[in-house]
Amino acid sequence: RAAVDFIDITLSKTQRKTPTVVHKHYQIHRIRHFYMRKVKFTQQNYHDRLSQILTDFPKLDDIHPFYADLMNVLYDKDHYKLALGQINIAKNLIDNVAKDYVRLMKYGDSLYRCKQLKRAALGRMCTILKRQKSSLEYLEQVRQHLSRLPSIDPNTRTLLLCGYPNVGKSSFINKVTRADVDVQPYAFTTKSLFVGHMDYRYLRWQVVDTPGILDHPLEERNTIEMQAITALAHLRAAVLYVMDVSEQCGHTLQEQLELFNSIRPLFANKPLIVVANKCDVKKITELSEENQKIFADLTAEGIPVIETSTLTEEGVMQVKTEACDRLLADRVENKMKGKKVHDVLNRLHLAMPAKRDDKERPPFIPEGALIRKRAMEVDAPKRRLERDLEVELGDDYILDLQKYWDLMNEEEKHDRVPEVWEGHNIADYIDPDIMKKLEDLEKEEELKERAGEYDSDDESEDEDMQEIRVLAKQIREKKQLLIVQSKDKDVHGPRMPRTTTKVERKKLEKEMGELGLDMNDKDDSHYAQQARRSRSITKKRKREASAPPTSKTRSQSASRPPRDQSGIRDPKMAKKAKKMMKNSQKDMNRQGKKGEADRHVFDLKPKHLLAGKRKSGTNDYR
Amino acid sequence: MPQNEHIELHRKRHGQRLDHHERKRKKESREVHERSHKAKKLIGLKAKLYHKQRHAEKIQMKKTLKMHEQRKTKQKNDDKTPEGAVPAYLLDREGQSRAKVLSNMIKQKRKEKAGKWEVPLPKVRAQGETEVLKVIKTGKRQKKAWKRMVTKVCFVGDGFTRKPPKYERFIRPMGLRFKKAHVTHPELKATFCLPILGVKKNPSSPLYTSLGVITKGTVVEVNVSELGLVTQGGKVIWGKYAQVTNNPENDGCINATVPGYPEFTRNVLTTTKNTKIQHAVGFQSQDHQEDR
Repeated sequence: RAAVDFIDITLSKTQRKTPTVVHKHYQIHRIRHFYMRKVKFTQQNYHDRLSQILTDFPKLDDIHPFYADLMNVLYDKDHYKLALGQINIAKNLIDNVAKDYVRLMKYGDSLYRCKQLKRAALGRMCTILKRQKSSLEYLEQVRQHLSRLPSIDPNTRTLLLCGYPNVGKSSFINKVTRADVDVQPYAFTTKSLFVGHMDYRYLRWQVVDTPGILDHPLEERNTIEMQAITALAHLRAAVLYVMDVSEQCGHTLQEQLELFNSIRPLFANKPLIVVANKCDVKKITELSEENQKIFADLTAEGIPVIETSTLTEEGVMQVKTEACDRLLADRVENKMKGKKVHDVLNRLHLAMPAKRDDKERPPFIPEGALIRKRAMEVDAPKRRLERDLEVELGDDYILDLQKYWDLMNEEEKHDRVPEVWEGHNIADYIDPDIMKKLEDLEKEEELKERAGEYDSDDESEDEDMQEIRVLAKQIREKKQLLIVQSKDKDVHGPRMPRTTTKVERKKLEKEMGELGLDMNDKDDSHYAQQARRSRSITKKRKREASAPPTSKTRSQSASRPPRDQSGIRDPKMAKKAKKMMKNSQKDMNRQGKKGEADRHVFDLKPKHLLAGKRKSGTNDYR
Repeated sequence: MPQNEHIELHRKRHGQRLDHHERKRKKESREVHERSHKAKKLIGLKAKLYHKQRHAEKIQMKKTLKMHEQRKTKQKNDDKTPEGAVPAYLLDREGQSRAKVLSNMIKQKRKEKAGKWEVPLPKVRAQGETEVLKVIKTGKRQKKAWKRMVTKVCFVGDGFTRKPPKYERFIRPMGLRFKKAHVTHPELKATFCLPILGVKKNPSSPLYTSLGVITKGTVVEVNVSELGLVTQGGKVIWGKYAQVTNNPENDGCINATVPGYPEFTRNVLTTTKNTKIQHAVGFQSQDHQEDR
């Protein structure tokens, strides 16, 4: 599918990106140029894409030998190179085809001839590519697999795990790093290299897990095992050879020793540790004599044998530290032997200050730091955290921050303090000196009062004024009372103020009389006169008993029902009529029209309809 | 699984969405509707491509269906009748005997001497001079028009050198000179790219033959030593006649076929009646042969 898609994409690109219109009556050079452009465009596209493929794939000679070997194991170097070679050939062929046909097109004297030549050229280029179908598919698969290889840095500190299948390499890497490798009871669970990272002594370490290796000669090894062998061969790492003491993996210790000896040459120059795994099932001391001898031999040769159990985690840390230390020492040693180290060493200089007198000046370490350091070493239990409490209580846990408060009265810690009292925020009044402030204020007020600041003016008021004052006071009181009463009632919610409603004369006179005003003989008062003048005195006649009007149209407009109610029998019909009205207005509203007759067009020549090529379709809507 | 196949790993550990299978089923069933919608609504070039592809798919489907059906029904078994089986009423007569073969050979040889050939394309359209030759104006005032340039594909031999430009009447541009032809052998059903030895006959005009112009229907001699053919006498054949079957100036390549019989037998090469050019054609009979 890759080749077909490639061809389709390129051809459709040619169709879209080059001019499409040409006529018989154009000048011949224009016709030629038109078709030559298409041929060259297609050729250019193919050339670019194929070159990109060729450059993006790594050259096996240019990459680190570890990756070169790994790729050889996985993809077969010959096949890989052949596929890329074929692509290169195809690219050159396409270029030649385009060149030939462009040359021929110069002699094209008619549109038909040029068109046929272009057709032949494009057809040939596409045929060349169709032939590369298998190469392209192979390269696609390689690309996908290659992009998924784990990123192993061949130059950094690495620990390499190897051994028979099912001995516990993946469990080890799971324990030591964050890599989540599949651990299953069947052999060859791990089918490719896995990488995990861990920290030790402030440095980043890679741990590489390999698929298990079986004991047979190199030629007979399959792809999976070869990956492990490649890793062993090329990575400069500390090797952890994992053995299964309990023989649960299905191979005896003898077989494991055999394998060890057969791949021994690969361990040259690498720090080696033998990890005796699954010691929770069977310890070395529980083994038979000859098996114990194996381990004794190994220790005698200088290879540390460490018992571990990835299940109970004993010995894992020990292995880690041992391996890391050894590898570090090895690497430092190698670096010292090399040439580059002198550059660095020459620039380093440890300055020791010369003593100027006999006074001892030991380094000063504060107490707290010492204590903390000791605590770190001893790994003392830290103080109990909230988190620990939470874990303990589980579901019952409630966050209670008030227990940490520092109050004078310890028992008040869990008291509930209200926030509002009598319309005031309590928070506004919390003040330690508040009583004292209150006293001061009161004293001040007393002083002021005594000084006479609050005495009112001694104006002499005549009796009328005083009477008026008294009356006004009464009125105010009454008013407030009424307000409170009505507020208490408030059955109808917010109401119109009294002044908007009409007050009858009788009521007015009665109320004023209650208040003490003389309300007799009030026919000449303004309100009475006003009332006489207003229209409310004239009674309205009932509609049914109306006499025929004098002028027809004017009175008809008054007597006719409004248009949205005429002819409507019941509320259901009224509702429907209203709905219809709204419906008919919807379109107009949406288009922002002022009414039915609004024909204004906001955009006479919209760009999205008029720009661009005329593709297939009618001109009705363009 | 490899370390960075995160999707697959997640799927392995946590399973899929709760409605995964239902969604998948629904999507697949919707595909039918979407395909039909596409088939109805596509227009233009995309529609052509799509319909072509779909047509091919349907043919395949029909074939497989037919194959499946074949299992259920009984078919006439063609293998049971051996080759050359003759019905009972013909049993007495014999097949072609040796004598007949020999006499056929003699007859062919005689026909060859007479020079009559059978070619794959008996009638071809004749090309007029205006079509094949283009007038080139020369001279100080560009008035002289005695030069002609060939606009069709031509063949010039290996030792070809142009006449001095002042005197050459017929210009054969380098861009239009071809040396190789794609020759199809109908019996072998294969196509080979063989070098041309020369133009034998152009049916339109002897002028074109002498110029080496190759158009549709031209008989061309090709070098077949690649194929390794051997005559009955034991001689290696290295040259054969082939007839051009396409318009080389439109396609940019010369496609030719070798006639079915090893030798030409009868003269049938003529042009159509529209043109005045007619031929009484005669060929030289030999294939170029080489003693082993």
